[in-house]
Amino acid sequence: MLAVRDGELDALGELFERHHGPLFGFLVKLTGNRSAAEDIAQTVFQRMLKYRHTYRDDGSFTAWMYHLARRCAADHFRKSSAAPHATDPADLSDHADETPHAAHHATTRDDHALLHTALAQLDRDAREVLLLSRFQELSFAEISGILECSVGAAKVRAHRALRELRDIYLRLLAQGPKDQGTKGPNDLFSRGPVVP
Amino acid sequence: MNCQSVRDLLPDLLDNRTAATTHLEARAHLARCPDCQREFAELSQAAQALDAIPTPVPSPQLRTNFYTMLEAEKQAGVAPSRREPRARRRLHWGWILSPLAACALVALGFALGHRATPAVSRGEPSAESIAMQAELKKLRADVNKMTTAVAYTLFQQQQGPANERLREILVAAKAENPSDKILDDLVLALTLDPSANVRLRAIEALYPHAERELVRAGVLAALPREQNPLVQIELIDFVAAAQDPNAAPVLAKMADDEAINTSVRDAAKMALAQL
Repeated sequence: MLAVRDGELDALGELFERHHGPLFGFLVKLTGNRSAAEDIAQTVFQRMLKYRHTYRDDGSFTAWMYHLARRCAADHFRKSSAAPHATDPADLSDHADETPHAAHHATTRDDHALLHTALAQLDRDAREVLLLSRFQELSFAEISGILECSVGAAKVRAHRALRELRDIYLRLLAQGPKDQGTKGPNDLFSRGPVVP
Repeated sequence: MNCQSVRDLLPDLLDNRTAATTHLEARAHLARCPDCQREFAELSQAAQALDAIPTPVPSPQLRTNFYTMLEAEKQAGVAPSRREPRARRRLHWGWILSPLAACALVALGFALGHRATPAVSRGEPSAESIAMQAELKKLRADVNKMTTAVAYTLFQQQQGPANERLREILVAAKAENPSDKILDDLVLALTLDPSANVRLRAIEALYPHAERELVRAGVLAALPREQNPLVQIELIDFVAAAQDPNAAPVLAKMADDEAINTSVRDAAKMALAQL
């Protein structure tokens, strides 16, 4: 990115190739919408180009990128008047599918679909910090910079979000229709205690 | 340590960034407390399930739009080409060692010749002079061997990881109906891998999937950025064989670019004629 800042614009192409995949994945899970995720990803790289002169070599490029992504996503949510509600989990898979909100699909038996639903039902801020914390290349120090809070606060928020996700998931499992052979609430967690 | 204190630390214990040697008291409590173990297991599996959600792949339009935007910015005359800086930045140790070795040899030869040359010479080389010259010749041969050995070692080091990446490419290429993710990885190798050999194999692996929009867009995006003439020609052949009409403007530009290798420009002209 320093090269881009210094005028070598082709270097942004390399950054795009390396990072657009994970960035898009983050944005899809955050917004629940493939089309919106692509628009936001495009905007993120546009802003990188436009504001390249502001880039400073005092942190990782990845943290800077997700900081931009967060702002672009917030702009997107402001412009689209509806808050991000639960969305069809199929939107988060490889094949885009513009079906209605995932709340109507809470009875699906697929674990991934249920987890998508649970994720979508999280508060947007909780979803955001949870997704950022699962990216191993970001330290909590970097996440705290992105979220503009302390490291301790970032950890507490991430931990709380994970617990909420677990609770929502279990609740969705328990709500499954009995005639479809509902999985027990602990089916995903039936592998026994795990000690670190 | 009580259960509440331990449960506050559970997310930290779940985090792979946390060293195994930290929170020893909490770990000890966890090893003997079934309730905390159950809580830890649930959170652990929720986190793993979250990590296991497949990452969706964007449509080819994202890449196309990005490079269109980048090209527009470049055309606005904001920045110079990356080619010269890249060439300047690329260091070959052989290029450094060879002139250094040559200088050392010259200096050594000068020193030895100075010692060996008699004050007055009647044109006939002395025995000592002949011996010195033989030593110089041997030293020259040793320096050449050293330079070659270093260059070969560097070559081997470069080829080691490239061979590994080649293996990955070949495994991915064998899939009958590869997912978008695998194709995306192949396009990534084509665009970013430093080894021309790996990039060539990536193109070869992508040929059977030329009808996929993701592949065509990726190859077309890689074409103007590729600098190796062999790979450039392969990419040109690919877009011509795929009959990709979007390639016409890129090929036209390459055909007129005098900075590009003549063979590559000829290939671009032929491909244009085919489209």
